[in-house]
Amino acid sequence: MNILIVEDEARIAKRIERMTRDFFADTLNSLHHVEALSEALEFIKNNSLDVVLLDLNLNGESGFDILGTAVSESFHTVIISANYERAISAFEYGVLDFVPKPFSKGRLEQAFNRVLSKEKTETHKVKLLAVKKKGRIQLIPIEDVLFIKGAGAYTELFLTNGKKELHDKSLEKLQQLLPDTFERIHKSYLVKISEIKEIIVKSGSKYIAELKNGVLIPIGRTKYKDIKAKWL
Amino acid sequence: MNFKLLYYFLLVFTILLVSSCSRDRISKIKDSRYKIGDHLEWAAKNWNDQQWENKVDVVEGEVFWSRTEVEITKAPESFQHYGIFINTFGEYDVFWDGVLIGKNGNPGQEATREPSGELWATFNIPDTLATKGSHILALKTSLYYFPNHWRKLHIHVDDYDHLVRSELINTAFMHIFAGAFLIASLYFFFLFLNEKKGYPILIFSINCFLFFALIMVEYVKFYVPIHYSQHHIRLEIIGGLTFCIAILAPLYFSLQFPFPNRKTILITYIGVLLFVFLIDHYSYDLTAYNIGMTMWFFSFGIILYGAYKKMKGAIIVLLALILCALINAITYYDISLFAGFGIILLGMFYILSVRTKEQRLAYEESLVQSTRLRLELLKKNIQPHFLMNTLTSLIDWVEESPQKGVAFIEALAQEFKLFNQIENQTLIPVSQEIELCRTHLNIMEYRKEIKYHWEEENIDPDQKIPPAILHTLLENGITHSLPNDDNSITFKLIFETGYTYKTYTFLTIAKVRNTEKKIIEGTGIKYIKARLTESYASKWSFSSEAIPNGWKNSIKIDN
Repeated sequence: MNILIVEDEARIAKRIERMTRDFFADTLNSLHHVEALSEALEFIKNNSLDVVLLDLNLNGESGFDILGTAVSESFHTVIISANYERAISAFEYGVLDFVPKPFSKGRLEQAFNRVLSKEKTETHKVKLLAVKKKGRIQLIPIEDVLFIKGAGAYTELFLTNGKKELHDKSLEKLQQLLPDTFERIHKSYLVKISEIKEIIVKSGSKYIAELKNGVLIPIGRTKYKDIKAKWL
Repeated sequence: MNFKLLYYFLLVFTILLVSSCSRDRISKIKDSRYKIGDHLEWAAKNWNDQQWENKVDVVEGEVFWSRTEVEITKAPESFQHYGIFINTFGEYDVFWDGVLIGKNGNPGQEATREPSGELWATFNIPDTLATKGSHILALKTSLYYFPNHWRKLHIHVDDYDHLVRSELINTAFMHIFAGAFLIASLYFFFLFLNEKKGYPILIFSINCFLFFALIMVEYVKFYVPIHYSQHHIRLEIIGGLTFCIAILAPLYFSLQFPFPNRKTILITYIGVLLFVFLIDHYSYDLTAYNIGMTMWFFSFGIILYGAYKKMKGAIIVLLALILCALINAITYYDISLFAGFGIILLGMFYILSVRTKEQRLAYEESLVQSTRLRLELLKKNIQPHFLMNTLTSLIDWVEESPQKGVAFIEALAQEFKLFNQIENQTLIPVSQEIELCRTHLNIMEYRKEIKYHWEEENIDPDQKIPPAILHTLLENGITHSLPNDDNSITFKLIFETGYTYKTYTFLTIAKVRNTEKKIIEGTGIKYIKARLTESYASKWSFSSEAIPNGWKNSIKIDN
C-alpha cells in the first residue's frame, strides 16, 4: 500500500501517520507526508499511489484546486477536513470518503476499510468523473456515461455523444464510487441499467444486453439472474 | 415625486400670472406732453398743447405739467367704476378732463412740507367723466428730490376695483410663496444648529431666507406707501439680496458638486459678479437681471460638470436650470427672476434631500457593517478550520500526554475568554490585543509544533486599536510562513508615534511561502481595513509587503 498524506497541521499529520501505520502494518509499502499543494501535485506525478489523504484547507490554499487532478488518477482519494460544507461537492467529484475533523482512530480506520474491502461509498453522490485529456482535467457528468469497459489497469468510458474517454481508475475502483444505477453485468463491463433496451438469450447460455443505442454488451453467466431481476 | 408636483404648480402659477396680465384693454394711452410752468387752465380738456414737448428738464425742481390723451374704448357697464393707476416720480395733482380727481402729495410745496404721496397710486375717475371716447389726463407735478431723474409716466386705466385688487391678489400669492421659503429657511437653520458641520444646510437656509426677503421687499410696494424720494432704498435692498443669492447658490452647488480648483474659480466668479453689480449699478432692474443670468451660467457650469461626473441629483438640477432658462425665454423680467430663483432653490432643496438620503443609507450601512465586523470577530474562533483543527490536535495531545492536553485546553479557554471581552468593542487597549496574540501563538504551538517568538518594541500599553487586527495579521503570518531553519518563527510589533501619526509595524521573521504568488486581498485584510475605516474613517493607511527575512505590515493612523 502506497499512501500520501497532504496536511499542513504538523500535529494532525503525525496523528494520521501514526494511525495509518498502525492500521496497515506490514502491508504498508510507503507513507509520505507533504504540507503544500504544489508538493502534493509533484509527488502524485512522480509516484505510484493507492490512497491519498487530502486536507481541503492548506495554509489558505484550497485542496479543491488539486481535487480534480487527484480523482482523475488511479488511486482513491479520502478527504480529511474541517470543511464539512464541502463534503457534498467532494463526493460529487468522486472521493471515496470524507472524514470530518476531529476524527477518532475508528473513523479513520472505517475509511481505510472502505479502501480495502472495495465496498461502495455510502453516499453515492458522485456526479462527475474527471479524466485527463491532453494534460488537462476534463469533468464528465455521469449522466453522460452509458457504460464503462475495463481495459487492464484503465477503463474506457462510453458516452451518450458517442465518444469514448479513458479513465485511470480500474473498473473495481469506479464501481466503488458509482451509484447503483450502474451495474457490473460482466467482469469487464459496468452498464447503466436504464440504458438496457433488451436482454437477448443466445444458444449455449450466452446472454447479451442490447442498449438503446444498439450496442451489444455480454452479460456474465453468473450475473444474468441478478441483472434480469433488476432490469425488470 | 413631490418635486415634480411643485414644478407643475409653479408652471401653472406662472401661466395664471401671465394670463392675468392679458386682460382686454379698455383704453389707449397716447404719448404724454410736458411743459414747465404752472397754470390751472392747462388741465382743461381742450387746451392746445401742440407746442408742448416730449420731455422737460426740471433742474431746479420747479413745477411742470403733463398732458396725456387717454381714449376709453369701452364704456363702463352699469355700476362699474373706472380708475386710473399712475406710476411716476414726484408729487402731483391729478386732473381728468379738467376736473381735479386726486392729489398725491403737494406739488410745488415739497421744499417746505414733509414728503407725502406714494410712487404707485390709483385714483377713481368720476362716472360722469368715464365715457367712451377721448379724455385728457393732466398732472401738475414737482420733482423736488430727484429733479434730473427722468422717469417715464406709467398710466393704466381699468376697472377701479380690478386696479386696486389685482396687485394685492398677486402679492398675496407671492407672499404665500415667500412664506414657504421662510419656513424652509427656519427649518433648515434649526437642522444646521443640530448638525454643526452641515454648511450646505446653512447656506440653503440663508438662501431661502434671502429669497423670502427678496419677495417681501419686491411686493411691499403694493401695500406700504413709498415716497418717490425713498424708492432707491428699496431697489438697493433688492440689488443687495440678489447679489447675495447669486453668491450663495453657486457656492452651495460647488459644495454639493465639487470640482477642481474650486477656490480660484469661485473667487473669479465673485469678481465677475461684483463687476456686473457695480458696472451699471443704478439700472437696478437690469443689474438684478444680469446678476441672475451670471449666476445661472455659473451654476449651470458646475452642475453640468456634476452631471458629467455622474454625481447623484445633478441631472434633475440640470433639468431645473434648463426650465429656468425656458421660463426666462417666455416670460417678462419679474416672473423669470422669481420663478427662476424659486426653481433654483427647489433644485437645491432636491440635492439636500438626495444627500440626506445618502447620509441615512451610509449610516444604516455603517450599522450593518459594525454588526458584520462583530460577527466576523466572533466567528474567528468558531470557524470550522480553526476550531476543528484545534480540537483534532487537542485529542491527539490528550491521547499522548494528558498534562499537555490540559495546558492546551487552558490556552484555548484563555483565547475564548479574551474574544468574549473584546467582542462588542470597536477599540481596545493594545495590551489586550497583544495578550490575545500571545495566547493565539500558544495554541498554534500545540498545533503546528513550531516555536513561535513574540517581540515588542516601544509599545504604549494604553494606546487603543480596533480589536483583533494584529491578531489577524498574526494569523496571516502563521498561515503564509515556513519556519526558519531552527523551526521557529518570530513576530515583532513596533510602535512609533509622531506629531501627526501613530504607526504599528508588524514583522513576521520567517521564510515566506510562495513569494511569487500574487497577493489577493483575503478576508483577513478586508477585516482589518473595515475595522480601521470604522474607527478612523479615511485617516489611516495600511501596507503589506515582503522583506528579505519575512513579511512587513504597517498600519499608520493619522491624528
